[in-house]
Amino acid sequence: MTPLDWIVLFGTLAAIVSYGLYRSRGSNTVDRYLLAGKTMPWYAMALSIMATQASAITFISTTGQAYVDGMRFVQFYFGLPLAMIIISATAVPIFHRANVYTAYEYLEKRFDSKTRALVSAIFLIQRGLSVGVALAAPAIVMSVILGWPARLTTIVVGCVVVTYTVLGGIKAITWTDVQQMGIVFLGLLAALVTAVWLLPRGVSFFDAVSLAGVAGRLNAVDLHFDLKNRYNIWSGLIGGTFLFLSYFGTDQSQVQRYLTGKSIAQSRLGLLFNAVAKVPMQCLILFTGAMVFVFFIYERPPLVFQQIELQKARSDAGYPQVESHFQSAFEHRREAATRFSEARRAGDSALRAQSAAEYHAAQKELDAARTDAARLVEKASGTSGFNDTNYIFLTFVTRYLPAGIVGLVIAVILSAAMSSISGEVNSLATVSVIDVYRRHVRRQATDRHYLWASRVATAFWGCYAVVFADYARNLGSLIEAVNIVGSLFYGGMLGVFVLAFLFPRVRGTAAFWGVLAGEASIFYAHFRTDISFLWYNVVGCVVVVIVGWLLSAAIRTRAQGLAAES
Amino acid sequence: MTESRPPASEAPDDPPPFLGSWRRVYTAVFFYLVAVIAALYVFTRALRP
Repeated sequence: MTPLDWIVLFGTLAAIVSYGLYRSRGSNTVDRYLLAGKTMPWYAMALSIMATQASAITFISTTGQAYVDGMRFVQFYFGLPLAMIIISATAVPIFHRANVYTAYEYLEKRFDSKTRALVSAIFLIQRGLSVGVALAAPAIVMSVILGWPARLTTIVVGCVVVTYTVLGGIKAITWTDVQQMGIVFLGLLAALVTAVWLLPRGVSFFDAVSLAGVAGRLNAVDLHFDLKNRYNIWSGLIGGTFLFLSYFGTDQSQVQRYLTGKSIAQSRLGLLFNAVAKVPMQCLILFTGAMVFVFFIYERPPLVFQQIELQKARSDAGYPQVESHFQSAFEHRREAATRFSEARRAGDSALRAQSAAEYHAAQKELDAARTDAARLVEKASGTSGFNDTNYIFLTFVTRYLPAGIVGLVIAVILSAAMSSISGEVNSLATVSVIDVYRRHVRRQATDRHYLWASRVATAFWGCYAVVFADYARNLGSLIEAVNIVGSLFYGGMLGVFVLAFLFPRVRGTAAFWGVLAGEASIFYAHFRTDISFLWYNVVGCVVVVIVGWLLSAAIRTRAQGLAAES
Repeated sequence: MTESRPPASEAPDDPPPFLGSWRRVYTAVFFYLVAVIAALYVFTRALRP
């Protein structure tokens, strides 16, 4: 990084955090600290919702995902607009009128205290696990760029986030998120434009798009139905809808964003903005990853993107052979790509088909060399499951982007990390204070006391995230890890809210056991079947509803029988 | 501060600032999604290997 990059990076981050803290003045009651006094306009909520969901993982891992697997990951988001419509029509007015701080507070009003306690505990477990993953991503960034120990990086980023979250509450978070999303869009566009700009002379944008297509990196829609295939249109539309219904409808980190709205209409507009903007935004991120792939067709990529790990494997006797195999495969691929582009421009379909076949053969050789290199790394480090997906985009940014843009893109990644971590830490603190402390520990105390408790809980969850992030760094593709963790719990949470909203005759005990049955079915699906994780939400939700409804009917019948006997 | 916040409010369900009703806004978002998926499908088919 050049001095200009450091100025851009620290200037951007300092300005964002200072502005957020400035806008959070007056957060001196629990209502203002946790819900911003319900004064937020729709555009601030919209960007805050987007910022909370788009973590550093989104930029580091999603671009890497496009590099290795193409754009098919975008199908994961097809269910999001549908979920936003359903939540706007159902959950938003219910939560607003219930006048609650948390979604789980509503469950006690609708069912009973044990159902509220169970679902609050599920939320604390799953969100507590994913906040560590979200914090691990920027640690990867800084360890690659600065060579800092990842643990130290985690602590530094964690401390910055905890400071402004503890001091300013949700208002600081929301206004910081607004600025952060502006920087994110700017940085993303800069990265995409630069990736295309850096292509060799003679390779046009259309050549690049065509090459990405022939390389299978523009596979945005797959109509084939397969329960074991992670990303196709059906898993996206059905599984994705259930996942996003769970996330935006039952996860406090999102519910709390739209509970800050001035009115039902403002909250709905905030959600529907996301319905419209999210899929194009993911396309932009994935397309950037695809263009980085094309860039590395012409510029020789490292054998393994995680350089620190590669150093360990260099002393292996088999390394020179793998390196030479990789080099010759890279040259064959580049030649085939050049011939493909010439054939495309000349309109020669026979030569185009022949060069495409040569390209695929060379790509296969290149992939084989990378697999061999991964084996060497695993052998040298004594680990298994080596995965360098998270390092691809970072390698491109730090080695090839011009001065100033590097600082901006790193600011994007850190901004995204801080916005999602702050939102998650804030929601964990809110549930800990409102659903646990105020409900079960100290039922009657002053507003000042609960404000103090909220700040302490925020600091606690920030520290917890730092500790868990240390473990999360070794989980492979972080974007998938965070979604899989969420899917283990969301189905049960969604099911209980479906019971609450749509089945008025179901009562607390039936809902409670329904949630437990739903969670059991999800864990069975995860550990005992090959079903893709996007379907866990569907399985869990359906089981909760069926068990809850049947149990409720059985309890009613038994009560009627007892009443008739007496 | 007590365990519960003030009694449930009757928050007004204001109309959207455009299209006249929320039902029409939801319909517009739905058809927008259909159009985006269709465009991405055409993109995939046109550029597949």
